[in-house]
Amino acid sequence: MRKAFVAIACFALIGAAAFAQGVIKLGANWPLGDVSGMECSKAAQLAVDEINKAGGVLGKQLQLVVVDDEGKGDKGVAAIEKLATVDKVDVLLGGIASGVAVAQVPIMKKYQIVTVATGAAASASVEKALGPSPGSDWYFHLHPWDYNQGQSYFEGWDAIQKKYPNVKISKIFLAYEEGAFGKSSFDASNAIFGSRYTFDGASFKSALQGGSDYSAALEAAKDFKPDLFIWAGYAQDALPLLEQSKAMKFSPPIYLGAPPAWPTDIGKSPLAEDIMLYGMWAPSINDISPISKKFSDSYVAANGTGPTSYFAALSYSAVYIIADAIKRARGTDREKLISALEATKYASPLGETITFTPSKIIKHQGIKNQKILQWQNGRQEVIWPFEVQSKPLVYPLPSWK
Amino acid sequence: MRVVVTRSIARPGRTWQPVLLIALTVIGTAAISVWKPTALVYGVQRAGLYAAVAIPMALILGIVHIVNLAHGELMMVAAYLSYFAARLLGLDPFVSLVPVAVVMAIFGLLVYLLTVKHALKAPELNQLILTFGLAIALSQTVNLMFTSQSWKLSLGYVSASATVGDVSFGVFDFVYVAAAIALAAGLQLFLKRTRMGKAALAVGQNPRGAAIVGIDVGKTYAFVFALAVGLVGGVGSLFLAKQAIFPMVGGPYTMKSFCLVAMAGVGNIVGILYCSLALGLAESIIDGIRGYAGWSNMVFFVIIIATILVRSWRERKV
Repeated sequence: MRKAFVAIACFALIGAAAFAQGVIKLGANWPLGDVSGMECSKAAQLAVDEINKAGGVLGKQLQLVVVDDEGKGDKGVAAIEKLATVDKVDVLLGGIASGVAVAQVPIMKKYQIVTVATGAAASASVEKALGPSPGSDWYFHLHPWDYNQGQSYFEGWDAIQKKYPNVKISKIFLAYEEGAFGKSSFDASNAIFGSRYTFDGASFKSALQGGSDYSAALEAAKDFKPDLFIWAGYAQDALPLLEQSKAMKFSPPIYLGAPPAWPTDIGKSPLAEDIMLYGMWAPSINDISPISKKFSDSYVAANGTGPTSYFAALSYSAVYIIADAIKRARGTDREKLISALEATKYASPLGETITFTPSKIIKHQGIKNQKILQWQNGRQEVIWPFEVQSKPLVYPLPSWK
Repeated sequence: MRVVVTRSIARPGRTWQPVLLIALTVIGTAAISVWKPTALVYGVQRAGLYAAVAIPMALILGIVHIVNLAHGELMMVAAYLSYFAARLLGLDPFVSLVPVAVVMAIFGLLVYLLTVKHALKAPELNQLILTFGLAIALSQTVNLMFTSQSWKLSLGYVSASATVGDVSFGVFDFVYVAAAIALAAGLQLFLKRTRMGKAALAVGQNPRGAAIVGIDVGKTYAFVFALAVGLVGGVGSLFLAKQAIFPMVGGPYTMKSFCLVAMAGVGNIVGILYCSLALGLAESIIDGIRGYAGWSNMVFFVIIIATILVRSWRERKV
């Protein structure tokens, strides 16, 4: 009996030692061929390295396993299958495109691994597919839903008009790329702005799809005489649109671009000066947030250049949020981890403290606010929210020189 | 694709066809000018770009008898070369055009000697798979080296504009129109007036006959392939001046070029100018109709389907 007790104790000790020396696996999927996806992967790895260097979590090292989803739904599903069954990860994170996320929802529901999502804005497809609590309680959505974004812009422009009395917006025009992204942007903007402002829009073929001529959409916008002109396309459209606007002498008082990411060198173009944009993170936040500065400096030190989109800051935040929750949950037990994540209060590099609160359908929505920014002297400056404003608004957009 | 060339590469079509095309062009131009003048301007400019890219493809198809599905990707590679020439050496794309064209011609020669040459007698499907594979290899290599991030030069002159009445429009894209006309005219001169050009024409029409009279068919194929890649390389430099570049930027232009070559008839270089004009104007007009801009993509498919149907109907009649 005594021998048996000793043997059991030995096994328990060995087991505990093995557990303590093991790793906590974080599984992620991003489109690695896309610059934003690659930046997400690098930022998440940076956070993992920082945490491991500081001693890990509960004495264990974090291990990040990244699978390329190629921005395709079927690859995204295969990524979850591999991460869940082959790598047997403890927590999932990642994602950018809504199209990938909606395809992944059924298999994610099957495994119900605790997930911190860094992308997917399309509420009508992804949030609807996830469904309400408690069926989707394992899903923590960091990125705002499209209606969160729209509401945020609505509030932002209201606040800007109050603070700057010379800013008057009554007519808004949206030029949108003719694919799913542009169309959903138009529908969401129409639903939000249409009730309060005179709203109109026209589509264009993105350079990403082989387009090169924006004249029809710009001409429609010019005829409409908008106070706020917005374009929703891709990085490839940014500078050609500005060049064609200048050629057509179209210079609305506010010219705003809403691509998922901007070209790296657009800030160097004089045409980008005073152009506005939506986003969640910009290097100018470094001036007012030490956490942002630490993230930005570490990212540059590790990769040579800074991130070009806010997705990197989101992915970095996701790893820290998970690590903190695992620490408070004292392990990766699913129920305890969900409870710990629900209690998250993470001061992020995005210039705000992230908590999870219910959204329209799911229980765990992280960020709900976007920021309104403006290119000034080659930098993205935060204009709104005013708490994190880094420069005053330049208004109206000076006529093209 | 082993196509029997029944018409000379440099010879225009039947006499009534150009007349009809010119008449339709004049009527169409007048109508569009009244309805939406900018649609006319931008349609012509768009046509210029399409034609400038498509003409080198027509040269390869007409003489080497290969459908080069890596055509747009070769233009993309040239645009990247030109981008680095601008960033590292400070060369304007109009200056780097010639050296980039030369480098691309050498690259084209290597591609021909290492790959295409060995598939000349292979079945058409193998040739298509080969050039399709080349296209993927080129775009993925660039993607691996430089990521999918788009790059764009910021050049003040591309925003040059003109104002007629109360209509302002960009004028830079007329460069593509000039390039397309220069390419078509230059190739006509080359094929008709030079010894090498005449040899290329002979090889295009009847490779076996050309070989019997002492023309080195292999060298002619290699020269023509390299020349076409060099030309599309030069177009790539011009393309960079206005457009953002990224690894997948060339794909749609391969498809558009193939459509134009099919529409104009194999090897009909002048015909490509007319067909580009038709495609560019049609797209621009549909883009100009509010709420129907997305339908302009259909023009390309309608044209390719209609061309195939008309061709098969004609062949049946014969």
